[in-house]
Amino acid sequence: MTARAARRSAKPGEPHEGGVTQPLAQTEPTSIEQNGEPSAASRFRIFIVDSGWNSAARRVLHENFGLIRDLQKDDPIYVLSREKSVEFMRRHGSRIGRDPIIAVHDMHALGKGGTVGFHGFRLSLGLLRTPEQALMGLQAFARFLVEHRHSADLEADIRARLRREGFTGAIEIAMHHEAREIGD
Amino acid sequence: MLDRFGEAISVVLGALALAYLVYEIDRRKRKLRDLFYVLDSEEADISADLSSMVESGELQPYSREVRA
Repeated sequence: MTARAARRSAKPGEPHEGGVTQPLAQTEPTSIEQNGEPSAASRFRIFIVDSGWNSAARRVLHENFGLIRDLQKDDPIYVLSREKSVEFMRRHGSRIGRDPIIAVHDMHALGKGGTVGFHGFRLSLGLLRTPEQALMGLQAFARFLVEHRHSADLEADIRARLRREGFTGAIEIAMHHEAREIGD
Repeated sequence: MLDRFGEAISVVLGALALAYLVYEIDRRKRKLRDLFYVLDSEEADISADLSSMVESGELQPYSREVRA
């Protein structure tokens, strides 16, 4: 998908009355087995929290959700409805304005140490302001998920990646270039 | 005298450039962490909240058949 296409708003993401966009619908109760998709041994649980800000990140997520779903078909995706997302944000106010948030729970890590230690990672997509940034962020995230789903030490992989990004950033600054992929 | 003044200026400018580099790297690192980071004890309550919604049956996996 091109950056220009990312700007085009698909129906589910189009603004409705009051400037609030329609959220991804939560499903009727259906078991994983009925869907016949994620296996019982799913590595990840993916959560999407989206309270409905009318943002570029939201539109990009809506337009590409089907592809994300197809790429992550081995893992269940839980989409919080707008109402549940708003309730969630009221309970965790520091996250307001960062959504859509994609949180990924690593079931291996959760099984070992619960939520006390490392147990997954998250992308605060709402912090990316332009469609191009949001699309690149989403693509990088999907790539990371697919590449690391069999990782023996996911935490080390993530920290290594962050160090690498920091090192790349340092080189870019030294060379007087702007960071292009994620962020700025 | 002028040599020493020039050296001092060079040292100050070098220190400023280094400080800027450190500041900029730190700023980008913080920005990246805001955007993409690990879930650990700091986010334990948020993760527990999401997990409890699944365990209680309040949340169900997204079904391909009922796509928004």
